[in-house]
Amino acid sequence: MTATVTRPAPPRRSRGRRRRISRQTRELWLLMLPAMVPVLLFSVGPLLYGVGLAFTDARNTRNHETSFVGLENFAELLSAEDFWSSFKIGAIWAVSVTVLQFLAALGLALLLNERLWFRGLARVLAVVPWAMPPVVIGLMWKLVYHPDAGILNDLLGTDINWLADFSLALPAIIVVGVWTGMPQTTVVLLAGLQGIGKELYEAGEVDGAGRWRRFWNITLPQLRPVIVAITSLDFVWNINQFGLVYVLTQGGPGGQTRLPMLFAYEEAFRYRMAGYASMLGLTMAIVVLAVLGLYLWRQMRETK
Amino acid sequence: MRRADSSPVGIRVLQYVALAAFIVFLAFPLLWLLSTALKTPRELALTDPTWIPDNPTLANFSDAFGEQDLVGAAARSLVVALFSSVITVLVSLPAAYAMARYRSLVNRVAIGWVLVSQVFPFILIIIPLFMILRDIGLINTLPGLVAVHVTFTLPFALWMLQGYVRAVPRELEEAAAVDGATRLRSIASVVAPLLMPGVVATLLFAFISSWNEFMFALVILQDPGVMTLPLTLVRFTGPEGVARLGPLAAASLMATIPSLIFFAIIQRRLKSGLMAGAVKG
Amino acid sequence: MRIKSALAAAAIVALAAACGSGGGGGDSSSSSGNEPVKLDFLSLAWQKESVAANKQIVDEWNKANPNIQVTYVQGSWDNVNDQLVTQFAGGTAPDVIHNDSPALAGFASDGYLLDLKDKLPAELKSDIPQAAWDTVTFDDGKGAQGVYGVPFLQESQVIIANKKLLDASGVRVPTPDQPWTWDEFSAAAKKMTKGGTYGVAWAMKSPVNKTLNLALNFGGTFFQTSGGKTTVKVGPEEREVLQRIHDQLYKDKSADPGALGQGTADPLPAFYDGKFAMLPAGVYLRQQVAEQAPEGFEWVTLPGPTGTSAQQGAVSQTLSISQDSEHVDEAMKFIAFFLNGANQAKLAKGDWLLPTSQKAADDPAMTTKENGWDVATASAKNLVVAPFLKVKGFDEWKTKVATPVLQQYFGNKITIDDAAAKLVEDGNEVLERYQR
Repeated sequence: MTATVTRPAPPRRSRGRRRRISRQTRELWLLMLPAMVPVLLFSVGPLLYGVGLAFTDARNTRNHETSFVGLENFAELLSAEDFWSSFKIGAIWAVSVTVLQFLAALGLALLLNERLWFRGLARVLAVVPWAMPPVVIGLMWKLVYHPDAGILNDLLGTDINWLADFSLALPAIIVVGVWTGMPQTTVVLLAGLQGIGKELYEAGEVDGAGRWRRFWNITLPQLRPVIVAITSLDFVWNINQFGLVYVLTQGGPGGQTRLPMLFAYEEAFRYRMAGYASMLGLTMAIVVLAVLGLYLWRQMRETK
Repeated sequence: MRRADSSPVGIRVLQYVALAAFIVFLAFPLLWLLSTALKTPRELALTDPTWIPDNPTLANFSDAFGEQDLVGAAARSLVVALFSSVITVLVSLPAAYAMARYRSLVNRVAIGWVLVSQVFPFILIIIPLFMILRDIGLINTLPGLVAVHVTFTLPFALWMLQGYVRAVPRELEEAAAVDGATRLRSIASVVAPLLMPGVVATLLFAFISSWNEFMFALVILQDPGVMTLPLTLVRFTGPEGVARLGPLAAASLMATIPSLIFFAIIQRRLKSGLMAGAVKG
Repeated sequence: MRIKSALAAAAIVALAAACGSGGGGGDSSSSSGNEPVKLDFLSLAWQKESVAANKQIVDEWNKANPNIQVTYVQGSWDNVNDQLVTQFAGGTAPDVIHNDSPALAGFASDGYLLDLKDKLPAELKSDIPQAAWDTVTFDDGKGAQGVYGVPFLQESQVIIANKKLLDASGVRVPTPDQPWTWDEFSAAAKKMTKGGTYGVAWAMKSPVNKTLNLALNFGGTFFQTSGGKTTVKVGPEEREVLQRIHDQLYKDKSADPGALGQGTADPLPAFYDGKFAMLPAGVYLRQQVAEQAPEGFEWVTLPGPTGTSAQQGAVSQTLSISQDSEHVDEAMKFIAFFLNGANQAKLAKGDWLLPTSQKAADDPAMTTKENGWDVATASAKNLVVAPFLKVKGFDEWKTKVATPVLQQYFGNKITIDDAAAKLVEDGNEVLERYQR
């Protein structure tokens, strides 16, 4: 697929810097092109349209004249109490799921990278949550949390209605969130671990570094780009998650699990407030980008 | 290899216990699905659930297969997932290489885009996207769904792959170039083997995302003749979240297993890719 | 590299092949001359018998009408509205659409559904009572009223009871002619509460529709319209049922608090276990009980309790025609056939709901004592259109205001006065959005 790019070009090293830069740029564009076409057509295009909607009073109906309203949706959003409570729930959810997911996945990836018995089997079983369609995940966990026929109460000997309890519902879905996203994180970290050159460890061993020292001084720094990437993406995915709560709690009890995207989804698809929902999506996206920007900037500075 | 043997027994035991705990946590629903799929409606309504059904039945499977075209749907899902994943990797690999190895404005815009595209929720996109697909005649077709799946797994695939490319020391490539190899040769012989685990992980990611994807499939596919597996699964649910658990579990099992088999096959590649890299590196 | 380019080549070839086969099915709508008209029918049937009945009726139609071929497309209740919002916006929705009356109000005022007022065949129109037609008559978004679907299956609230516990308590067994009053119902529940067994269980995960439909027992409408403006009202009539359920939970302690957060079908395992005696539920839940109840478990269907009247709010399942359909007349013919008396009886039986067709209601299958069909079918006469169906913004009020408030109230976290105040104040704010 890179045939055009990589056709053996006569070496031009002697021709000076400018030429090389322009050739590089051309190469770069060619390499990027196949990826850019679908992205521009099916992603950037619709997105710009969606962003545009955020500044209108558009509704998903036929009987409505859409007009430009500027920042009115934004003002309405800021004054909406239910948005803020949803925002808070979303922040708790995204941060805790991402952190727990990362810690658990790192532990699992390290284990799967050891030469243990049944490692192959364990690797396959570890991706079970990922292999399950989300529809099934929701129903599965509903069964687990079922107050009477659920296996959780049966195992713990408790009699708790997990998903309907005002203080337990959010933690309960956080567990499901961690469970759902763990395999992805694990696979990525595992591939990252395997990319670390053996010679680094061998050198470490020669220096007499212990298990912990090797982990801190070799594994973590080597893994850093992958860790930064996957935690950022996990965070973004988690904040955009709504399928799970949609199936499990529909935002209840009493709005305790109404994640921001469930909120936006309801606005767009149930109340047809397309403009307002777009503004909600846009606002969340900007907040997330700011958080991520800060995180990535700090990570980059520390690396340097 | 040597470091494995040097582990003290205590740590080994601890590792096995931890591994077992992880596996139980992650994999028990598979067993539970199997158990549910074999139960009669009566047993499913017991307050004291059991792991092993008292009167195992295959009725759920025959219901699931009899009422829905599960085999056809699975075949279509497989085609869509294979194409989506292979195309995603083919398209994103050169771009990922460019992102990791060149420094320029385009490159930074691309990295920025990867992030931004993930940040924006599908609510912003789905209706305009639907209209574009309609206008170019891709509604109700599997290629249309493949195009969408490629578009939406692409950013993450890019990010994954560029991370793996970065992890390949640039010096290796440069050394090969100094040896007189062309750029292409140096990429093929040095970078590619080291990238294999990453490519495989990306393929896996793209395959499974596509296999499981629901929302886009729901709005894009309308004819019964083109529907994919996740769409047929929800057919066993009624209003207010009431569901026919037995057939649903049976069908879900059928939907889960192919991904696992795919993973089982591919994880071997993961290992041999690593070995190849280690030997050459 | 070689492997990759081979893969790429294979991918292109196969994709082209898939394009060919995938695209072939869809675009035969531009009929030239004698080609049959093609209709897409989105059905939401999900019970085994009901799926079978749907498919069978479509097959019969296709055999009898070679010129109007119907494609049976199965959807799901879980996400039909998301699917429709998108497909309507893109102008590619199916011709004939199965849904329910609460969803129709929105789609009707959005302008996506065809007004069937002048298209209904006389026979179909007269077979279905006016009360049912009321559940599908909505504002078209421009001030006029239209009929946006044909109602065919209705749900009413009954009480499913454990026969042994009911008999043991010695209370009078209610009949459709002589149902319990709410006082009798509460007294019976109290009597059946003993030794770890509760009298009743209220599954209140989605409390709004259930409470609002029952509130009509005491004339509670929850909404009032004056001067073209709709507002929320929670007066004495509305409070009756709320307070009575709350009393069962916290005063009489005759209602199982464990069931509160559960969805409609979730309390069933505990019901079979004898943890409580009565489960107020929609008629369709009988199907699950009949299928799941352990051997030897005897159960009966009791009519719902009455207040100042026996009225309940009705919600119907419906068939509608998309505004964008190119074959409106053919679609209407198909609906008329699909919903004739004989077919409605089959569909009702398959989904364990009540047919709107009066011919179907006389079908022996609908009046048998077995599985409580007689009681269920008799309850149809109490169904009136639920006032909330006509309220623009009801859905948002329900999700954002009423669901959390009622959950908190039934969870005994707030008083009825707080609940009423919130329902009204926050509620009016929501409705305001729709009346601009």
